[in-house]
Amino acid sequence: MAELRVNKAKEKLARGEVTVALASWGYGGADALERLIDLEPDAIWLEGEHGEVDFSNIGELTRAIDLIGASPIVRVHQNEPGVIYRTMDLGAQGICVPHVNTREEAEAVVHAGKYAPIGLRGAFTSRQGIGVDNYQAKANDQTMLIILIEDIVGVQNLDEILEVDDIDVFFVAPGDLAQTMGRIGEPHHPEVQAVVDESLRKIVAAGRTAGALVSNENAAHHLEQGVKFFLGSPPPWMETGLIEMNRRAEA
Amino acid sequence: MRTLRKNEAKARLATGKHVIALEGLNHADTVERLGPMNPHAVWFEGEHNLVSPPNIADLTRAADLAGTTSIVRVNRVEEGIIYQALDLGAQGVAVPHVDTREDAETVVRAAKFSPLGKRGMYGSRQGLGDPEFFKKANDETLIVVFIEDVIALDNLDEILKVDHIDVFLVGPGDMSQSMGHLGEPFHPEVTRALEDAVKQIVSAGRIPGTVGNHSNVARYMELGARFFLTSPLEWIDTGYQDLRARVGATR
Repeated sequence: MAELRVNKAKEKLARGEVTVALASWGYGGADALERLIDLEPDAIWLEGEHGEVDFSNIGELTRAIDLIGASPIVRVHQNEPGVIYRTMDLGAQGICVPHVNTREEAEAVVHAGKYAPIGLRGAFTSRQGIGVDNYQAKANDQTMLIILIEDIVGVQNLDEILEVDDIDVFFVAPGDLAQTMGRIGEPHHPEVQAVVDESLRKIVAAGRTAGALVSNENAAHHLEQGVKFFLGSPPPWMETGLIEMNRRAEA
Repeated sequence: MRTLRKNEAKARLATGKHVIALEGLNHADTVERLGPMNPHAVWFEGEHNLVSPPNIADLTRAADLAGTTSIVRVNRVEEGIIYQALDLGAQGVAVPHVDTREDAETVVRAAKFSPLGKRGMYGSRQGLGDPEFFKKANDETLIVVFIEDVIALDNLDEILKVDHIDVFLVGPGDMSQSMGHLGEPFHPEVTRALEDAVKQIVSAGRIPGTVGNHSNVARYMELGARFFLTSPLEWIDTGYQDLRARVGATR
């Protein structure tokens, strides 16, 4: 019998360590992701809210990520039970749900993402459960739930949302937040950043895990605020490398 | 009506500038996101990786929209595969294991229309909307041949007499294998053979290329190489590990 695959990102967070997920936008496709093996990434974030990830390719993409020992996390496009557990059934070890604005919406994520007695995820053997004895009894321990706090109404309801158990990461995202604050396209506006900072503070104060999309430049700032789950993306790293390669060629 | 898309990489080489072709990005959404980085060219791997007729059109469309030159490495010296890649939308073809003058002539015959060759007559995707396509196509088609076997070094003087090849790319991987140094592409004997070949190509007034990275690009530029096949994977590794270090993450 196979052992249920350990969720590396969840395990690191449980030990109190920080976790750095790598976003697959800008370096997509199963073959490219499998080539990340030497980086030993903690987790790969597959983009299904805005990107090309959907039911037809989650199996293929998460298989490649399993083979490099990282945790496959899929951001789904809506807070809908069928979407959440089908994504897990296809192989995601973690799920990220956008626009969670109320306590009820946070409870719905847990309800869909966890089997009884915690929730009522549809009963089916996930790809992660193939060959695993009594998979459904063990799955909750290796399933990671991330919710996005990214609307001003979600910020207003944050105290209530933070009371919902079994959510691993409360991820604060400035892009949509700026839009709901009347600052579209200005995620770095001081008013938006003040709300981000206050939200991160509340999450940490409540004893929960905070997450953020970071650049190499602002990551240390978020670390100081208590963020434990970081998401980085390849395009700026590729751009830096390409600029340097051109500089060396022209030197 | 539109006019045939310019081959930016070919134009750079024609004016003595270097070209960096990014490899390992065999995914249309990834390629289209490269646009703002202004890469000279994107390399689609069909000798060893998943690029083949069913996906060349989609991949090269993304390159067209990103404003970068698309180059497909085909699987072998064979006329039908070479012009099919061009017909599907590649602006350039790279052909592995060109070992003799006859091999080189076959590549040109396949990739160029009359009077230079006899590429199969078909309106390429690149030709859509341009009634003058057949007359202009040869000028916008880039040809790269791989010099990557010892026998090709023996025949290099003869191979270099074949006109209409834009780049003679010396490949360290297969060269090391054919020299008895399997898996040691940077073995000193291999490096010496590659550097000698580069000098020979330059002496013949032709353009050499090689597999390039931050470490060797300056050296090969100095020797006269102008085309670099480059993987951004190590740049992603550098960026990711730097981000990890900034937040105190362990592997």
